[in-house]
Amino acid sequence: MIKITELEKIYRTEEVETVALNKLSFEVRDGEFVAVMGPSGCGKSTLLNILGLLDDPDAGSFLFNGIEVAHFNERKRADLRKHNIGFVFQSFNLIDELTVFENVELPLIYTGVKSAERKKRVEAVLDKVQIMHRRNHYPQQLSGGQQQRVAVARAVVNNPKLILADEPTGNLDSSNGNEVMQMLTDLNEQGTTIIMVTHSEHDSRYSHRIIRMLDGQTVTENILV
Amino acid sequence: MLKNYLKVAFRNLWRNKIFSSINIIGLATGICCFILIALYVTDELSYDRFNVNAENIYRVDADINFGGNALKLAVSSDPMGATLKKDYPQVQEYTRIYASEGSKLIKKGNEYIDEDKIAYADSTLFNVFTLPALEGDTKTALNEPNTIVISETAAKKYFGTIHATGKTLEVEMKPYKVTAVIKDIPHNSHFHFDFLLSMKNVAYGFGNFLSHNFHTYILLKPGTDYKVFEKNFDQVIEKYIFPQAKQFMQIASMDEFRSAGNKLEYHLMPLLDIHLHSARWPELDTNSNIQYVYIFSAVALFILLIACINFMNLSTARSASRAKEVGIRKVLGTERKNLIRQFLTESTVMAVISLFIAVMAAWLVLPLFNNISAKSLSLGSILNGPVMLLLIALPVFVGLVAGSYPAFFLSGFKPIVVLKGKINTGFKKSSLRSALVVFQFFTSIVLIIGTVVIYKQLNYIQTTNLGFNRDQVLIINAAGALNNENSDAFKNEVLKMPGIISGTISSYLPVASSRTDNTYSKDAVMDAKNALSMQTWVVDYDYIKTMGMQIVKGRNFSKDFGTDSSGIILNEAAVKVLGYVDPIGKKIYSSFQDGSNNPLSLKTYTIVGVVKDFHYESLRQNIYPLSLRLGHNSGNVSFKVSTKNLQELVKIVEAKWKIIAPGMPFSYRFMDEAFDNIYRAEGRIGKVAVIFSMLAILIACLGLFGLVTYMTEQRTKEIGVRKVLGASVPNLVVMLSKDFLKLVFIAAVIAFPVAWWAMRSWLQDFAYRISIEWWFFLLAATIALVIALATVCFKAIKAAMANPVQSLRTE
Repeated sequence: MIKITELEKIYRTEEVETVALNKLSFEVRDGEFVAVMGPSGCGKSTLLNILGLLDDPDAGSFLFNGIEVAHFNERKRADLRKHNIGFVFQSFNLIDELTVFENVELPLIYTGVKSAERKKRVEAVLDKVQIMHRRNHYPQQLSGGQQQRVAVARAVVNNPKLILADEPTGNLDSSNGNEVMQMLTDLNEQGTTIIMVTHSEHDSRYSHRIIRMLDGQTVTENILV
Repeated sequence: MLKNYLKVAFRNLWRNKIFSSINIIGLATGICCFILIALYVTDELSYDRFNVNAENIYRVDADINFGGNALKLAVSSDPMGATLKKDYPQVQEYTRIYASEGSKLIKKGNEYIDEDKIAYADSTLFNVFTLPALEGDTKTALNEPNTIVISETAAKKYFGTIHATGKTLEVEMKPYKVTAVIKDIPHNSHFHFDFLLSMKNVAYGFGNFLSHNFHTYILLKPGTDYKVFEKNFDQVIEKYIFPQAKQFMQIASMDEFRSAGNKLEYHLMPLLDIHLHSARWPELDTNSNIQYVYIFSAVALFILLIACINFMNLSTARSASRAKEVGIRKVLGTERKNLIRQFLTESTVMAVISLFIAVMAAWLVLPLFNNISAKSLSLGSILNGPVMLLLIALPVFVGLVAGSYPAFFLSGFKPIVVLKGKINTGFKKSSLRSALVVFQFFTSIVLIIGTVVIYKQLNYIQTTNLGFNRDQVLIINAAGALNNENSDAFKNEVLKMPGIISGTISSYLPVASSRTDNTYSKDAVMDAKNALSMQTWVVDYDYIKTMGMQIVKGRNFSKDFGTDSSGIILNEAAVKVLGYVDPIGKKIYSSFQDGSNNPLSLKTYTIVGVVKDFHYESLRQNIYPLSLRLGHNSGNVSFKVSTKNLQELVKIVEAKWKIIAPGMPFSYRFMDEAFDNIYRAEGRIGKVAVIFSMLAILIACLGLFGLVTYMTEQRTKEIGVRKVLGASVPNLVVMLSKDFLKLVFIAAVIAFPVAWWAMRSWLQDFAYRISIEWWFFLLAATIALVIALATVCFKAIKAAMANPVQSLRTE
């Protein structure tokens, strides 16, 4: 599904040049669950942004389903993104002014799904993450675990082929964290590819494979399954 | 400590250059406009106050409805002043000005200069008004005939020195002795004369209570209630006016006169009200209108209010982004009161900088503003007034209020909450913010509509069909310089030249010129019911042709009809009052004849033609009945010309003049210029209004820009999330704009009726006016909408285009 080759990303300010990704190469196959680990500043988030088509690399190749997307423009990237990729963030990133239902509905609005169909699909996914009873509440009225379940629901409502999770349990206690990890595992078993950035060795054990990074490069790859 | 606050404050201003400059420029523009308008309004309100007795001086005005004519006069009859002083002890003094003769030629060396700041006056003028003398004794200066009092400017112009007393000035070929030189009459006086001639030189049938030609002022003893005093006019009418009226009109009592639908009333106009409240005829100078004072004051307050609101909004908006700084400072142990002081210092410094820039800017643009508004304002005139106090207090106040939100609100938070960025600034969706935006757009829309209406109305005045053609008409001022034969010879000589289409000899022109009202009657008996009072203009055969007027019934005067000396041409308004469907051949009777002293003998005139109504007064007034009679009146010789090179033509005409009238003064003007003079004041006010409206709109835009910036910043995270979820740039722009457009719509709905009402009452002053069209409103709303959209889109597109990674990282 994903094949990156010699990917480079360099951040420049007036005086300092920081190499975030240094000729990074790896591959993720359909249906894999991959964890990316490494210390702060090793380039994990940059990698995730590029994989999520939120940012573009300075050099190298990025094949998404066999298509070269490294130099896609903003519009093409957005189009590919909204149909294929779901995001789960550490800080949930729910919109405070919208209800649970409306938050989950957003991706469907942007992909042009009709209202009746949207309702059906949002309700189905809310049911699945067991938050249906909170559908008319606002994010601030929910606990952290509940908010992350809503975020997961929002990530999967569009049936994406790939889910990118940035420390999904970072703001949760262990029981809520386990619940979210279980949800991701279930999704993976249903065929969704998952790439997860994490600091937690515990969480990484849910994955099939761990990519360890340091200074913008892959150090080791552990196959767990 | 204060030094430290100031240092940090300046550093902050410098670091956020764009924000600081928007904020400072906005407030400075607002204050600058306020200063200029305050100067203007203060000046308007200061008229005639320089007179020591200002509070007790009144002008005697007359309201006369007679024979189909409704007159609101600023003049009274010649014996009125003296009669009031004789009969009523409350009247301390009276004085008269006679200015009906218009401009006069004054000789300087070998040339003649056409001076229009000239009038006849009683010597008591100087007892009533405060017009100090530089030389000579004004108490007696005008007592003798052939005496003249001149202003300092006139003295310097004609004698090169202010020491002109005892010297001789030649006015209309007649020598006058200068008996006093007075200081120039202040600009804020309702009359401006450089030359005051002795009343003894007026050629006039004095003692006539029925003819109103003199501006009459009375000085009442302090403590006299003028409203009560006005009641005495009933006695004056019975005792003096009725006996004279009875002589030429068959009435038994004043009641009979009134019951026929006529009116004769006298009122006192307080001197201090003349400049802003008097729109009578004839005024000694173009007056202003209290409406403009109201309009400008409202605009000034609006502008200032918008500018202040913007300043507060922008300061508040920025403070939200400084929440983190506040958190860190608190963690590091800064006390709350220090934070409060810090924020207050910053906003006050910014407000004070704005004040300085505003004063500088006002000082710089004042000459331009004076030029447009034809005033001679100076910043000095408000330096010690309450306006100055307001000017200093205001920025400090605005600064304190604007700074108080971040000072008290942010500094009160627990540092950890602030650091986590979890504070809700309470402004994002508040109705306060919405109300402010609605208010700004309301103001802008009202101002745009007002500007459009004023502009259209002034344009209408300039281009409307006046019923005569004022273009390419050359007027030669020949008053007194040519006798009848000479003026005919001159006219015929000029007519031979190429480029001259026609010529006419008459001083009666449809621009400011001398006027007379005569009384006619429908039947051979002059009584209250039959009377028709109308202007009578003495013209020649070529008058209608030269002026481009149109005969709608009957015919023009013609040499083919020997009887035309007793013929008369009426305008449509006169025919309407007479009630004739077919007026041609009907007779009307006049009791006044030129030079006759027997008022009871009636002269018969036959109506030979009807001329289409033409505007001979300002378009603020209706067209009243008017008649044209054939005769020889050699005041002016006017020519309809057809040439591009007018200056060349004038030179040739002047050469002809010098042959026919050697040594006689030659002076000329063009009719369209004379016409423009009537509306120049109006045009100036229109221009000033347009400029201030545009500035107000500009300031409102700045504020909107600030608000949109703030709102977009507040929603940065939301924009990022939506983008990640697949929102396109247009999606986001629509989302961000929608709220603002709703507010613009609400503002328009409120603004429309207000603007309609305000502009309708302004237009009410014009007898001839445009109608307020629906598209004015549409235009204003569209402009406001476009401005809002442009501003919002500018920010929204920028926010929507940004990489969502950046906005999510701000978390």
